[in-house]
Amino acid sequence: MSKTTRRKFLAGSALVVASPVVLRHALAQSAPINVGSLVPLSGGGGPYGAEIADAHQRVAALVNQAGGVLGRQVNVITENDETNPEAGVRAARKLIDADRVIAILGTWASSVTMGIMPLAQESNVLQLFTSSSDDIPKGDKKGLIFNFQPLNASWATALARLAVRSGYKEAAFAGPNNDFASSMVKSFGDALVEAGGKQTGDSFLYNPNQPSYRAEAERLIRSNPPAVFVPGYVADFTAVFRELIRAGYKGRVFAISFATGPQFKKAVGDAANGVMHGFPVPPIGKDTYDAYLKLVGLTPNGQVQNPYGCAGYDQMQLLLLAIESAKSTDPMVVRGHIMKIANGPGERVTTFAEGAKLIAAGKPINYDGASSAVDFHPNGMLKSRDFELYEIRDGKDVSVLRITSET
Amino acid sequence: MESYLIAILTIAGIYAVLALALNLQFGMTGLINFGVVGFYGLGAYTSALVTELLGLPFAAGLAAAIAVGAVAGAAASGLSLRLSGDFLAIVTLGFAETVRLVLNNEDWLTRGPRGFIISTRPVPDTLGRDGASLFYLGLVLVLALVAFLVLERLRRSPYGRTLRAIREDDLVPATLGKNVFAYRLQAFVIGSVLMAAAGSIYAHYVQTITPDNFTTPIAILIWMSLVVGGAGNNVGAVVGALAVTAIYEGSRFLMPFIPWLNAEQMSALRFIIIGIALIAVIRFRPEGLLPEPVNLPPSRTAQSSTSQQQYQVTGGTAS
Repeated sequence: MSKTTRRKFLAGSALVVASPVVLRHALAQSAPINVGSLVPLSGGGGPYGAEIADAHQRVAALVNQAGGVLGRQVNVITENDETNPEAGVRAARKLIDADRVIAILGTWASSVTMGIMPLAQESNVLQLFTSSSDDIPKGDKKGLIFNFQPLNASWATALARLAVRSGYKEAAFAGPNNDFASSMVKSFGDALVEAGGKQTGDSFLYNPNQPSYRAEAERLIRSNPPAVFVPGYVADFTAVFRELIRAGYKGRVFAISFATGPQFKKAVGDAANGVMHGFPVPPIGKDTYDAYLKLVGLTPNGQVQNPYGCAGYDQMQLLLLAIESAKSTDPMVVRGHIMKIANGPGERVTTFAEGAKLIAAGKPINYDGASSAVDFHPNGMLKSRDFELYEIRDGKDVSVLRITSET
Repeated sequence: MESYLIAILTIAGIYAVLALALNLQFGMTGLINFGVVGFYGLGAYTSALVTELLGLPFAAGLAAAIAVGAVAGAAASGLSLRLSGDFLAIVTLGFAETVRLVLNNEDWLTRGPRGFIISTRPVPDTLGRDGASLFYLGLVLVLALVAFLVLERLRRSPYGRTLRAIREDDLVPATLGKNVFAYRLQAFVIGSVLMAAAGSIYAHYVQTITPDNFTTPIAILIWMSLVVGGAGNNVGAVVGALAVTAIYEGSRFLMPFIPWLNAEQMSALRFIIIGIALIAVIRFRPEGLLPEPVNLPPSRTAQSSTSQQQYQVTGGTAS
């Protein structure tokens, strides 16, 4: 019995190991353009990965229906990065080495984006993503990266400006010690000063996943600041917020919108009213954003829906347009065309179909996206995005202010 | 595809070293170490700091990682080895968590959650991309081979027999005059050193490390490798690491065969497959794919039957 089991197991594992060889052979025959979609389907980014992957797939399907790119079909291969750089690197290895993708789209966590960057650089693979660590540009030596999200510093700047404009010139700061909040500390303080305010009390970082945040909450409001800014994720922000309420804090609480969704509102009930939160938002009401929503089967309703999926939509459109324009799938050639099409000058286009027609006619184009205008600095970082400030009133997010951040 | 297999073999080789180290600690000595990633991460960061901040070559980074791994292993186990099994497990888990928090919070040294970029590689510049990855695979295989040979030698020696005796019942070797504490300490330190060395090699392979690279799921993966492969058997530890990596990676290629599942469902299915495989092994083959060899000297059965006969003969004469 045991011998048979072992033999069967060995045969089975050999089959599993060998299957890629068989597959690759089959795929090489039809020669589609392989594009990697590496998204967080579990872990911290889990709520957003599916909408990004879905946007990639749908854009590619639409382009394939109309005849593909350079006459070739686009084959999107989705992998889960588990919001973890270790799993992300293994998945990226598979995409780069087994599937021979020319680009990896959709990474969300900065740690994953930066973790796979050495492999992508070594193999000349493009990276189009939404990550915000200020360190991201440092890893790119070949001009292969394009970020569809503003960097941390500009999140802090935009939120500080929004706070000052809504009448709060002094604020204290406490955030989880992760890449996101830790690089915000300084830029938030600087931006407050620049806008005519100041940072009060001490600004500090706490460890996420603590059992209690009482000490942090006490420290935050010790100097009784008129406002506090807590750029946490939903779990730690909810815990800190509860402690603030328990301590009788009467000032204004500012947060990041991804921490104040339904989960937060349900957890704290009426206490959520009055919390202000901000976020980089898609241009609500703009034709491009509505077109994206319709493509994925949603109805534009004046609210933010799929905040990351719209960036996934832009990533795929822009990449495919650049391939069409470059008449090549070589990333080292395509990268220049991404920059040219994103920044213009040229005629405004919002979809691959529109752009491909103009490219065929030999006209310059400028892509205008669903997540932003999609203009890049020379280092591939996004130039600007809309930020919106909301206030929770009667359990609902009510828009207060909107600004565009030049980053 | 070849380069993908090379990359996956490289990762599997690193896991195999970790599984071998854990096999010495748990499989042979019975020390429950849930803090595998603590030593692994310490090795990675030590090596990164030594090469990047001090500008020393990779060999120095590896040596420093080994030294730090030894000190950390001695400290963690010296403080807690007198505790019985379950308590040691909790202490090691706490150790790994402490390491992760220190790496995450001491920004001035480790750059915290922003991650540490490593440019030093133990690969000659003249090699191309494919050459470099082959070279790296070779390096990992050398480490795995060294670890395997050393541990296999230990296992077969009287030293290994003492470790197994301690695992089964520490009172017996203690009665025979063996210093049980010293043996446990040594086994734990040797294991920690190997884990730190694996961490060093891993860090220079991936070239960007963050505290997120060293979270408990990796420790669980290594435990899975050992349980699936067969605790107490060095070949089993290696086979287990290869099998677990094959399942983890191979399940990616199922996607084209199940087109009606979307990416999210497919990704969940992968974890289900991995879980079922583990449960199936524990249910139907709790001793692992390759169980621990029976450690009787080959002549013993012959000897005992002879003495049995002699006894019978003498017994017969006496009556």
